[in-house]
Amino acid sequence: MDTLLLARLQFATTTSIHFLFVVVTLGLVTLLVGMQTAWVLTGNPKWERLTRYWGQLYVINYVLGIATGIVMEFQFGLNWSGLSRYVGNVFGAPLAIETLVAFFLESTFLGMWIFGWHRLGKGVHLALLWGVAITAYASAFWIMVANSWLQNPVGYEVRDGIAHLTDFGALLTNPSLGMAFGHVVSAALLVGGMLMAAVSAGHLIRRTPDFALFRTSLRIGLVTAALAITMVQGFGFAQFGPVGAVQPTKFGGDGPESQALIAEWTTRFGPGDYTPPVLASVGLGFMILIGFTLGCVWLLLPLLFRDWVIRLRFPLWLILLGLPLPFIAVILGWISREVGRQPWVAYGLLPTEQAVSPVSAPLMLTSLIGFSLLLGTLAVTNWVLLARHARRGAADPALGRPPAPPSEPAHPEPALL
Amino acid sequence: MDLAWYALLGLFFASYLVLAGYDYGVGLLLARGVGSAGRREALTALGPFFLGNEVWLVAAVGILFGAFPLLEGELLAGCYPVVAGALVGVILVTVGVQLRSRPDDERIRARWDRVVMIGSALAALGWGALLAALLQGVPLQADGHVAGVTHLATPFAAAAGLAMVALVAVHGATFLTLRLSAEAAAVVGRTARRLVPVALTTVALATVVGLLSARVRDAVQRPAVAVLLPVLLVAALLAARAALTRRRPGWALVATGAALALPVVLVGAALWPYVLVSTTDPDASLRVADAAASAPTLRLLGWVALPLLPALLGFQAMCWWVFRGRTDGRAPVYW
Repeated sequence: MDTLLLARLQFATTTSIHFLFVVVTLGLVTLLVGMQTAWVLTGNPKWERLTRYWGQLYVINYVLGIATGIVMEFQFGLNWSGLSRYVGNVFGAPLAIETLVAFFLESTFLGMWIFGWHRLGKGVHLALLWGVAITAYASAFWIMVANSWLQNPVGYEVRDGIAHLTDFGALLTNPSLGMAFGHVVSAALLVGGMLMAAVSAGHLIRRTPDFALFRTSLRIGLVTAALAITMVQGFGFAQFGPVGAVQPTKFGGDGPESQALIAEWTTRFGPGDYTPPVLASVGLGFMILIGFTLGCVWLLLPLLFRDWVIRLRFPLWLILLGLPLPFIAVILGWISREVGRQPWVAYGLLPTEQAVSPVSAPLMLTSLIGFSLLLGTLAVTNWVLLARHARRGAADPALGRPPAPPSEPAHPEPALL
Repeated sequence: MDLAWYALLGLFFASYLVLAGYDYGVGLLLARGVGSAGRREALTALGPFFLGNEVWLVAAVGILFGAFPLLEGELLAGCYPVVAGALVGVILVTVGVQLRSRPDDERIRARWDRVVMIGSALAALGWGALLAALLQGVPLQADGHVAGVTHLATPFAAAAGLAMVALVAVHGATFLTLRLSAEAAAVVGRTARRLVPVALTTVALATVVGLLSARVRDAVQRPAVAVLLPVLLVAALLAARAALTRRRPGWALVATGAALALPVVLVGAALWPYVLVSTTDPDASLRVADAAASAPTLRLLGWVALPLLPALLGFQAMCWWVFRGRTDGRAPVYW
């Protein structure tokens, strides 16, 4: 096995695990913002209970999102030092902005939100969750700016073999960015909605005590999923135009435009196989199939009338069994987008083989096995904990639990005395 | 411009070591046999700050990538094993701390706490060894790549890693002395004082090994700055001990924090104007200016960072202010 293949496998593994968690983070935080805002506005304790229950699942899920995200960030330098060497001047900027503008604040806000129940004013506490959500979206945006640049490098010029930034605005108006960002964000809402609906369906099937609570979250989840799947489909199909224009070889190299591009690459970079693996098209096909299947969520919406969706019971089973589908679809979507960019790391600019770090194959193999085992184990552990907490119900989540009565009056003493 | 970004990179990495340093210190001290209630107490003291601490690492690496792309690739790939080791440690701590209280079974929680201890030790060892790797130079070749990873296996890297473990342990114990309830703080304060001589020993060991190493002597560009490092470290540790003895845990934490920030600042200064000094080919050494991104990128990032920095610091300060003081029955508990 050569270093390049091992590095690519490691990127695929880490990114896939990472995305399974961030897609839930982004979807759930949006719904949480709605729930906590409703609580602050109406004062109805039902919304507080919903926020605590779903908030706890959100926070458990967030753990692996960060852990895998940190590995992703380091992986660029560890495994793909050529990427920073040749295109770091341009590609590094949106990534740096993401860490500073988005992730730094997201995590800082989240820490205060988790520990701020019963300690901060209701308004401040809600503002923190809004902060978490806004920075989470900002994070997704900047990561997509960086990824879109790899799909379609713009706003740069090459001097001495190294790309230099010339027009940052071009990165933001990249044709491969807009629709893809909309697609990813709606996919996150779809996953969040489906997860909420499926967990609620599980409770309603088992007839657990909190009927009213899970009825509400089932309805929120289903409506969100229905709106989101339509947006997912819309943004998905809207991408064919721009992707076909800037990446003609993505889904096969037979068209006249791809032939012309391949001929140009052959002159500039020498002969080679410039068509991406067929996996890109296969991933796309199955993702679209799942997308259409999930469109059937709309058929369940009329059943919300008089709770037929609950009374008939079989729709609950459908929702529960359908939960893996959006997760499979998002992975297939990324496989399609990333594999379709091969053999380039930055399309038409930097071949993947030039980007890989000059480390030995045994070292890369050790890293691949080590990190895959570590992150895989942690991911499974995390899902088991998520499932247990989802199953346990909303009786008394640890998140937002009121503190014990004070044993002595709390007077923080000054630290620097 | 290069210097400003280099300073900012140093600021973020040093802040990471100071803030996450007490996370790792508290993680190591979970091993001190205080039972499940004692471990619970320590994690409660850490709780609200935990998420806000490790973001400094993510931001530091973000700055490294955005402002010093060439350095990012060569440093991380060239020091692969120690960076990967530190990374595994960071992951274990981040997951362990956040998930340990989710299972109800005390035995499973104790197992997670062991994960946190191992992770804390790995993270401290890794970052210590990485700083040592900078100070002893790397086999940077004319093609700009670091040859192999065996250059990391030196007594100096091991000694520096150990010193970092001892420093975070003292720092963590001092943090607990400041945060825990009065009775528990008295006990952990004694631990902190007892750990100071241990830290002094490891710092002395790393200094001796470093002075004996020809690679370190050759790589260091400003010997006076390099010698200042152990001197200031010893001074900071002695100041921490004095403050602990006088029951001034706040000042003690400032001193142990300084002990964690100093290595970053002084390693950077001792190597200036280089950032990676080649042990094999003096002409191949990488200057800070050559490692930096080109001017348009730095300008862009500057416009982003300038208004942002007060906000980042402000929200971190808000977190420290909201959750200041000793933990008691009303302290929010989550992990």
